[in-house]
Amino acid sequence: MRGLFTPITKIRRQVFTEVAKYAFERDLEQSDFNYFYESSYRIIPGEVATYRDSVFKERAIIRERIRLALGLPIRPSITHQPFTQGMAECATTEKKLDMPLVNVIPFACEACPTDRVQVSDNCRKCLAHPCTTVCPVNAVSIGKHAAIIDQDKCIKCGRCIEACPYQAILRFGRPCAQACGAKAIESDDLGRAKINQDKCVSCGLCIVACPFAAIADKSEIFQLITAIRSGETVFAAVAPSFVGQFGPLATPGKIVSGIKALGITRVIEVGWGADVGSLHEAEEFLRDVPEHKPFLGTSCCTSWALFARKTQPTLAHCIAQTHTPMVASAQKIKAEHPGAKVVFIGPCVAKKLEALDDEVRPYVDYVITFEELMGLFSAKQIELSDLPETDLATQASRDGRNYAVAGGVAQAVVNVIKASGHEQDVPVTRADTLFECRKMLALAKAGKLNGHLLEGMACPGGCVGGPGTLSQIPRAATAVKAFAQDSPYQTAGDNTLEALAP
Amino acid sequence: MGVIHVEVCAGTHCTMMGAMNIMDAIHSLEELQQEMDNPCDIEVKAVPCMNLCRDEVHGPFVRVEGQLITHAESESVMAAIMDRCK
Repeated sequence: MRGLFTPITKIRRQVFTEVAKYAFERDLEQSDFNYFYESSYRIIPGEVATYRDSVFKERAIIRERIRLALGLPIRPSITHQPFTQGMAECATTEKKLDMPLVNVIPFACEACPTDRVQVSDNCRKCLAHPCTTVCPVNAVSIGKHAAIIDQDKCIKCGRCIEACPYQAILRFGRPCAQACGAKAIESDDLGRAKINQDKCVSCGLCIVACPFAAIADKSEIFQLITAIRSGETVFAAVAPSFVGQFGPLATPGKIVSGIKALGITRVIEVGWGADVGSLHEAEEFLRDVPEHKPFLGTSCCTSWALFARKTQPTLAHCIAQTHTPMVASAQKIKAEHPGAKVVFIGPCVAKKLEALDDEVRPYVDYVITFEELMGLFSAKQIELSDLPETDLATQASRDGRNYAVAGGVAQAVVNVIKASGHEQDVPVTRADTLFECRKMLALAKAGKLNGHLLEGMACPGGCVGGPGTLSQIPRAATAVKAFAQDSPYQTAGDNTLEALAP
Repeated sequence: MGVIHVEVCAGTHCTMMGAMNIMDAIHSLEELQQEMDNPCDIEVKAVPCMNLCRDEVHGPFVRVEGQLITHAESESVMAAIMDRCK
């Protein structure tokens, strides 16, 4: 469903807009949150259910989504807890976000089978029935109307699927689990999806994979808007993948104008922090590989770095110690403007997790996604194409801007290494999606990637494929590359990096 | 072989509600048309906010050969274009 606009996309964005609208318009002295009850009726109008068995259930799910969008936990279904409980405390400029970030709304989950090989209506109960012949565990038999698979015996080898001349047998699993490279999706006692928080690395891909909209992450838009309205100086640090996310007419300069129109003081390209990161990772590579570490893994993708450290603890030291571009940029902002609040705006759910880290917390106040930002634009009725272009004083190199696309990070680091006069070629191995990252780590553990620079990305295609994006991946990648060409600096080393441009 | 002119509103609300995905769907038709017996050319343009949002009428807004489609979705827009391509 990635790249398609479905009723789920619509509902998600409506929730962000409702929350942002109230945050912008409410009386700051009042704490009446009945508005959010009404929101659930605006999003699900009428008396007839559209997607599920009951309109009441549809609205109940919306209300849990609203709670998550306010940064609150979902409520337990077995005890009474008022919908508005905790909302007054959310209306603060303080960080409210806590674990777990990615949540299954249990009663929205349809408890899909975990992994199943099943005979469909296409079965013609043919005379040959090769499905039975090829089965190594005698799990397929011919019933009265069609072939039957004994689920207790089936080992999901897929031979019957291959053998059937009518494509009548199919294998399917849970879309959430199929999207989860960390293998963190388990089941509760009712067969519904449950996230194992020890394994989850908050990549957020299950959120956009679930066809029943049963998974959602918490948001900080309410606290961000409260900070803006309370007169705080807020700096926005925008991830390199922001280009092309807000429609064909929203040029980078107009997007920046739009962010400022929300009441944000200044907008900084996180590509600046990417340049800092490239220089640092190049230094680490030249210093440590192969003397102290067999290889070096990039550190900018939070989910990948966490995944590598969790699944291969003996290789944890091989992941770069370099700060992520988000942190490097935020540190610079806080150094130049100590009183300012920093919001990171990106495609990423995992950055929300990273910002909860004790070392990162002092620098990054809020993290929101592009999709959440779109909700803010919509709530404030900001028409991006009508705005003047903000001249983006060049903050990042081409290589820094290309961090958003898979392959860009490793290329940026290699370019710095080359520019330093290092003669030998640096071998690069890269992987996007945690499924591929897992394979890459296995090769690394077997000693097959010694001397390599490893680029890991949790999302397909890199950051442009993040769960918080609005644009299709190929179009976003093209836009990012075109914008990168506008920078007069080719590599990180060409960027002066002294002060953030005004 | 005719040319079908399509305008897609790329205002903030329409973009949030899927205008970019509609553009993608229209582009997917360009390829599909090349495989048809009588292919027609599709000329698609993203235009600034059409200022058409009213109480009960919302975007995405799309014009196919001048004819307005409100609450547009990929399926309604593709069907309108395919209809005119016959």
